[in-house]
Amino acid sequence: MAQGIVNRVVPRSAFALGVVRCIVQGAFLVSILFTSFSALGSLPVTILRPTGVMKLLPWSFYDGLQTPAAMVVFKCVLVLSLLLSTAGFLTIVSTKTSLLLVVFYQGLLRSFGHFNHDEMLAVYYLVVLAFTPCGDEFSIDSRLKTRTERPAFAYAYPILLMQLLMAWTYFSSALIKIRVAGVKYLSTDNLPALAIFHSLDNLHDTHFKLAFWLPQVKAYLPFAVGFVLIWELLFPLVIFWRRLRWWMLGFGVVFHLATLFFMNIFFPHQLAMYLIFLDWDRWKNKRNDKN
Amino acid sequence: MARHEPGERRLIVKYAVLTLAIFLPLIVAFLLVRNLYPVAAWNVMMAGGDLERGRNYCILRGETISGETIDIPAINLTNALYSRTWTMVNATIGNQSFKLKSIHPQNEEFSRQFGGVENLPPGVRLPDLLQAWGEIYNKQLPASSPQRLKAIRLDMYRWEGGSYSDYDKFIESWRKEL
Repeated sequence: MAQGIVNRVVPRSAFALGVVRCIVQGAFLVSILFTSFSALGSLPVTILRPTGVMKLLPWSFYDGLQTPAAMVVFKCVLVLSLLLSTAGFLTIVSTKTSLLLVVFYQGLLRSFGHFNHDEMLAVYYLVVLAFTPCGDEFSIDSRLKTRTERPAFAYAYPILLMQLLMAWTYFSSALIKIRVAGVKYLSTDNLPALAIFHSLDNLHDTHFKLAFWLPQVKAYLPFAVGFVLIWELLFPLVIFWRRLRWWMLGFGVVFHLATLFFMNIFFPHQLAMYLIFLDWDRWKNKRNDKN
Repeated sequence: MARHEPGERRLIVKYAVLTLAIFLPLIVAFLLVRNLYPVAAWNVMMAGGDLERGRNYCILRGETISGETIDIPAINLTNALYSRTWTMVNATIGNQSFKLKSIHPQNEEFSRQFGGVENLPPGVRLPDLLQAWGEIYNKQLPASSPQRLKAIRLDMYRWEGGSYSDYDKFIESWRKEL
């Protein structure tokens, strides 16, 4: 019965899971292609603060890696692995190497800065993809060899798991805010003070100054903050209530754009992951009907 | 109760293990409100803003060969650190890399020279970071360009809080000749 429910609420074809693989791996591929690893390798290793599992590696390893030349080699390996996993070639192996390399790379970045959450959801998606048959269609592998027959559940459940993970990010985020800050989170100064702080320096990636307008409308801001909290708490409905889905995701886009323009904080990877909510089976059927 | 083929049963067990392996650490991190990479607790902005609390912030600037002082957006230098540059700078100012359980050997030596971590001046590794940034910036320009930097500096300011004004009280500056 559970399988039946899963198969009904999410796309259940090998094609849909293949498209999702391409989106997730491709998102990392594109962002890494446009990143200067030689500049990253120029930063002094002495400011590095290995975080979490990154502490398991010895300093001699970081000394060897943290040079422009070594980082360029690392980028080449990362790009090659992500190219293979995005295209679905040697998928069983390449999705796992991409997972390992991206986890290491993201850990290295967090060892310089802080534990920001933009890419984390997509990192968990890489975990899901590494252990599911995501190369059975929409991949080079599927053109080279005949596919093993699997039940629809094999493709539907990984997509459901990814949707649940996204719901968890918003839902748990709201609960933590309520737990830690309580009703203080709805104070009139919460948003303007935070937004202005993030708009003062030139170390953030963008330098929008809209935050300085917020004190003028601060009496209304607790309603906006409260609305966002409710949206986060209700986000799990996106999975099971299709009619609500596009409104909720649409608001998510507005919310993330608002944090960009008012706080100079943006979550592009998280936004790109919204694409897993598209019904790729229906999209394929429509295309086939047209042809 | 539904009956499953052995292959299907294996698949269900595999997916159950995968789900638990992902969600159990996430739930623990959520309960402890603690990030332990790669396990994330989604505690983004959990404390909210506080008008009464003052905050320091930094502006990265360069002094060009032609004599101008220009603002340098750090994202143009090390775009890998997208969304993380400001915390990297704050941690460097706070000598956080000297306060680890396992310190880099060069930092250990440096710390010894100063007679312990507590005696280190703020931002003791900032000149190294500024040197790296200055070199990256200059590499992006032709050798003859008057826009090349002769020095790079980080200016720290403070917003004391309490009101939505007086955002830029100068605190301190770190400068590195290139």
